[in-house]
Amino acid sequence: MMEKVISGNDAVALAVKLSRVKVTGIYPITPQTYIIESLSEMKDRGELETEIIRVESEHSAMAATFGAAAAGVRAYTATASQGLLYMHEMVWWVAGSRIPVVMTVGTRAVGPPWNIWNEHTDFMSERDSGWIMAFASTPQEAMDLTIMAFRITEDERVFLPMMIGMDGFILSHTKTRVYVPSQEEVDSYLPPRRQPYVLDPEDPIAMGNMFSPEDYMKLRESIHRAQIASKEVIVEAGKEYMKRVVPIGSYSTLNESYKLEDADYAVVIMGAWSLDAMQAVDELRKEGLKVGVYRVRFVRPWAEEEVVKALSDKSVLVLDRSVSFGRGGQLYTEVKASLPDTDIKGVITGLGGVSIGKNEMKVIIRKFVEKPQGIEWFYPEEARKIELRSPRYIK
Amino acid sequence: MSLNYQLFPISKPAKGAGGKTGNWRIVRPLVHEDKCVGCKACYIWCPEGTIIIKDGKVAVDYEYCKGCGICSNVCPAKAIEMVSES
Repeated sequence: MMEKVISGNDAVALAVKLSRVKVTGIYPITPQTYIIESLSEMKDRGELETEIIRVESEHSAMAATFGAAAAGVRAYTATASQGLLYMHEMVWWVAGSRIPVVMTVGTRAVGPPWNIWNEHTDFMSERDSGWIMAFASTPQEAMDLTIMAFRITEDERVFLPMMIGMDGFILSHTKTRVYVPSQEEVDSYLPPRRQPYVLDPEDPIAMGNMFSPEDYMKLRESIHRAQIASKEVIVEAGKEYMKRVVPIGSYSTLNESYKLEDADYAVVIMGAWSLDAMQAVDELRKEGLKVGVYRVRFVRPWAEEEVVKALSDKSVLVLDRSVSFGRGGQLYTEVKASLPDTDIKGVITGLGGVSIGKNEMKVIIRKFVEKPQGIEWFYPEEARKIELRSPRYIK
Repeated sequence: MSLNYQLFPISKPAKGAGGKTGNWRIVRPLVHEDKCVGCKACYIWCPEGTIIIKDGKVAVDYEYCKGCGICSNVCPAKAIEMVSES
């Protein structure tokens, strides 16, 4: 293990190398493009055993990655935003096929209007696809979860693909200290590739062919049950990771609690801005407000038991950096479904790169303490007293 | 933990894996044995593997033949006639 100052994209590219990924079908899109560039540079220097397939679209990127994985090797891809939406059909195909594949989503707003900045709606729009879905809060965690993902997805209790969300620019491009494990440490952690079946001309099978309605439904239930079973696999993989690879981190639970034990109020949040929420909580506690943070790391499987245990006696605020139009934030509806008898406030903010830091969090939390329910859209000028530039034709 | 819940969307190719497809047929291939020269062109071209070779002549497995007519089209001796099922 060695310390490096690297970006989230660098950290993920190193994780791909260390996990001995054999094939990547990959297509550039901001903000994850540097992952491919970094892999190509490593390949050029002769440090990478991964075969890089250049494709003409994200749909083909996932198709090529899936093909390689079906043929029996570790395969990886990355995308974001419009690219993920273009890939959507293949994303579902891979999960339905039960072939382990790992993908990074460098989260980004969805157009129109065109916007390359961070939000989580692209990632959250895949939550029904059958993929295991984790979200990083630091470049370190993006690396850790990527390496862990190969162990989780290739476990016989799971056999599902996994995507790791990573906030565009905030994590993908910001350089921080990252503990990079050695090849020996990762080799001792990741077992040889396992998968439920292999594309092999010597032993032909029909893949994804027609099934009767009853059999189709049984296959769908199987995905659901594998998701539920993956909870214990994720925790095992996390504990083992801390033992064998990088000993920091909080991977003995699916999600993370921060100063929740004595808290009256809890802020539920996911991704890079969780750390801003933790800073805001530190300062508000000095003012006497008993508030803590519950950081969602896994959207799928949903950690129902952990959520209920951590939050059932609190007044809960959920911050969503994404929206399901006509309903509200996706995390809000998830938490509300787990805690039907609790008053919960949902705040949607930070979309399309709207910058929310510690000071904005403090304003949001104080407002929530005054009125702890409903759904609200928060614009940071409330906290900053600055004019946001509006499109010219909107008065 | 039991892994009984793990099911995968694949099948092994086998006779009848797709059901008794013979009932899809609207027209059936009728082999005129007197015209059949035993060249086995129909055997090679049949997409369903439903041509049976018998004593140098051919016959059709009507349980699974879908009635596509390819055998009739490729027969150089015009020995296979497509006749209505009704």
